[in-house]
Amino acid sequence: MRIKRRKFLILGSLLGLSSYVKAERTTDFEKEFKAVKSTITAVQEHMFPKGSKIPSARSMHVTTFLYETITHKSFDRDIKAFVVEGAEELMRREKGKFTSMNRIEKEKALRDYEMTNYGSTWLSRMMTLTMEGMFSDPIYGANIKESGWKALGAYGGFPRPKTKYMES
Amino acid sequence: MYDVVIIGSGASGGAVAYTLCKAGYKVAVLEKGRLVKKEEFSKDELAYCRRDLVTPSLFDEYHTIEEKVDGKWVSTPTYESGWSFWNGNIVGGSSNLMSGMLHRLHPDDFRLKSKYGEIKGANVVDWPISYEELEPYYALAEELVGISGHYESHAYEPKRSTPNFTQPPTKENRVVKLIDKACHSLGVTPLVTPRAVLSQTKPGRDACYYSNFCGSYGCSSGAKGSSREALLKPALATGNLTLLTNTHVKYLHTKSKDEVSYAVVVDTITGKEKQIEGKIFVVAAQAHESARLLLNSANKHHPEGLGNSSGELGKNLIFSGGGSGQGELHKESLKEIKFDELMTTGLFINRTVLDWYFIDHWWDGKFKGGSVEFMFEHQNIISRARKNNYENGKLVWGEALGERVVKRMTEQKNIRFEIFNDWLPNDNCFVSLDPTHKDKYGMPVGKLRVEGHPQDVKVGKYIAKKCEKILEEMGAKNIYSGVSSSPPQNLVAGGCRFGDDPKTSVLNKYCQSHDVKNLFVADASFMPTGGSVAYTWTIYANAFRVADHILERLKQV
Repeated sequence: MRIKRRKFLILGSLLGLSSYVKAERTTDFEKEFKAVKSTITAVQEHMFPKGSKIPSARSMHVTTFLYETITHKSFDRDIKAFVVEGAEELMRREKGKFTSMNRIEKEKALRDYEMTNYGSTWLSRMMTLTMEGMFSDPIYGANIKESGWKALGAYGGFPRPKTKYMES
Repeated sequence: MYDVVIIGSGASGGAVAYTLCKAGYKVAVLEKGRLVKKEEFSKDELAYCRRDLVTPSLFDEYHTIEEKVDGKWVSTPTYESGWSFWNGNIVGGSSNLMSGMLHRLHPDDFRLKSKYGEIKGANVVDWPISYEELEPYYALAEELVGISGHYESHAYEPKRSTPNFTQPPTKENRVVKLIDKACHSLGVTPLVTPRAVLSQTKPGRDACYYSNFCGSYGCSSGAKGSSREALLKPALATGNLTLLTNTHVKYLHTKSKDEVSYAVVVDTITGKEKQIEGKIFVVAAQAHESARLLLNSANKHHPEGLGNSSGELGKNLIFSGGGSGQGELHKESLKEIKFDELMTTGLFINRTVLDWYFIDHWWDGKFKGGSVEFMFEHQNIISRARKNNYENGKLVWGEALGERVVKRMTEQKNIRFEIFNDWLPNDNCFVSLDPTHKDKYGMPVGKLRVEGHPQDVKVGKYIAKKCEKILEEMGAKNIYSGVSSSPPQNLVAGGCRFGDDPKTSVLNKYCQSHDVKNLFVADASFMPTGGSVAYTWTIYANAFRVADHILERLKQV
């Protein structure tokens, strides 16, 4: 039996359906995303730090990519709302202090969050969206100078895209 | 008014259009998706493999899927589950995106009931035609679509009317040396996989340039034998084909009981409705959607759906049974070939095993088995980097993630096998109209009940164990396989069975409706049983056969 995704995403959040409804309106979504952007960036940077064998989130514009991809009409609107809701939930759990925590504190906060089904799903989604930016064609702006591909020794096929799918 | 109106531009729609346009008839192909020309296709993993760019948004158009949970049938809309049953809604359909590993059915696939008798809980029947009747069309499809390969005699390889393929196999990765050696040492016969990819140029189409990304992607050279490239392009060149894209058919209208007069279509861009008139209508919208269209075309003459006097419309939907397995080939344990050779990208594996297509063993028994294809794990970068990043139930991140992903991507390559065995038709696998849910055009969506037969899983597991031994013999590590009754949504057939008896079948042996004389269904819907290989070659071949019959009919009009 396939999981009823939407029900899971909504019921799993302590914040309920509010974001989902609001996310229908683009301008509201922009504001909502802006409010959680630093938290999302901090999570991405914790997952993909400097000094790793793969490029760091900080060096790869992955938050910009994440915003561009989830706001395109082809992106699942439930997951789009979930991205913001999950970040809001993390902020609420950590009383708004997550972004100012040191690395050890962030690790604990995220591992605690991961203990919940909801948090685990959200963190998994963050990793997917970050990797999508880092290892997709450089045209999307987050695989800068193919450094994601170079790290893995794996390169996209030809022909490469001439435009972002969001622009076609 | 067109001579023939074809609904759907995939493998079967393309084959019918090609034949009729070449013969000088005026044909309209109605395709709900857009035209993506080969120059537009790129190897953009994000666009083609991770976003719904070539299929409808599930919030606009979806299915409801019925599965048994705790003994009760539970229906879930696919926008809830994310489990899409759309397959390439662009000109050429899913043939644009196929891997192209094609096989003919075996002659005994046409007479499964006669060969193996009744199976409890399965609705197996013989086909009304034989392999010999379809063989010339398999040969025609091989030539026109462009299937490369190398014929080797084998007990379960069907006979051919031509000695060999006109195109040699595509270039192969050296890993085939390991597969061949492992198979031979286990007494298994590896065969070269026929593939709908050109190894040599053909007029108007370039040979494969081995870009490393084939299955799931549109082809930029024209090497892949998609309906769009191989059939619709030459059909358009005749000047007889009108290709109407972004045109979704809501239903077919019959003024009298035995004749379709027009299709009611909606422009998916403007939302405007219009009628398309034709002398003959050919439905080729992919199995479950073809049945849905005919069910949605119910009227006072056909209250249970168009051409459904038998009550069989939508029933006996089938998928492909089987599953897959995988093993890891590690740099440090590779002996027969060099690691660089293994890591060379772009080349095909082209290895099939048919040894277990039919089982007749003193201990295991006598039953229908299946076929096996070998391939590398799909080389998509994001999906390979993203998978298996858990340890003790927790996501791995930070420096440990970097170590893990780089090691996996640079020091090993994963080899896979896929098993294809019959999905036995049964009473709990069918498509009907959902009583509540409607698509954005106001038409009831297809409701798919998708239960498999226990025999399907039994057969799949039997073959998987043998395949695991081949991987083991190759020196692969961490071997596993998964066989389940979950349907692969891209391998679907049935729902409009053909047969000689109008009381038990929807179509006659020419895939013409028993009830409505100018209505044909040319896609995989006609198949009463599916065989144990991917359907595509049979879809192409049968559609050429149906087209020949339509030609004869048009000559009489």
